[in-house]
Amino acid sequence: MIDRIASSLEIKSLPSLNAQEGKVSEAAGFGEMLSKSIREIDMLQKDADISIENLAAGENTDIHQTMIAMEKADIAMKLMIQIRNKVVGAYEEIMRMQV
Amino acid sequence: MNFLDALQISGSGMSSQSARMNVIATNLANAEATRTPEGGPYKRKEVIFGSVPFKEVLEGQNKSLISESKVMGVIEDTRAPQMKYDPGHPDADAQGYVALPNVNVIQEMVNMMLASRSYEANVTAVQTTKDMAMRALEIGK
Repeated sequence: MIDRIASSLEIKSLPSLNAQEGKVSEAAGFGEMLSKSIREIDMLQKDADISIENLAAGENTDIHQTMIAMEKADIAMKLMIQIRNKVVGAYEEIMRMQV
Repeated sequence: MNFLDALQISGSGMSSQSARMNVIATNLANAEATRTPEGGPYKRKEVIFGSVPFKEVLEGQNKSLISESKVMGVIEDTRAPQMKYDPGHPDADAQGYVALPNVNVIQEMVNMMLASRSYEANVTAVQTTKDMAMRALEIGK
């Protein structure tokens, strides 16, 4: 659902702004960016999972590497939640709009 | 992400310090070993730390300036063994002297404190990095 909201919110004026700077950028949609960052977070969480499994199985003896993998996943997840809150906030703001 | 890179680098420092701790533990455990597979008394070991360029740096930053810590190798202390007069010892030479490892327990204790404090410093760096990231997220609240 966030994808659909995001793609409808895609900023159309961005290419013209970039054109002034002499750059022609393919306006990657917000939705695309969002799904990319979700994949990144998913990857970090999988890394953390693997390192917890290794620690429990006695393969990876470095406790701190596991803790750091967990922290990374935690920070990325919290950032994601903030983005989600902002997107939902924007959606609700639009829904409240008087017609 | 930048914050995650900082965590990775601190982690490399912690790995180096725990490797150093392993070597110190080896030295202390073998401080009185007179027999080794290579023959002769145990020889004190020491770690060599190196700085290797960090691979996942963002473009635009100077790649050569950001680097993580790595243990480049473990070397043997070449100092002569301590000679102790103990004619009753089975490993004593013709003059009655026993070659004991060149490990100075006090020196190892000081190295252990250094390893412990360096590890702590890296943990603090991780916590500060995390605090900074959390502070940044508070902007949106």
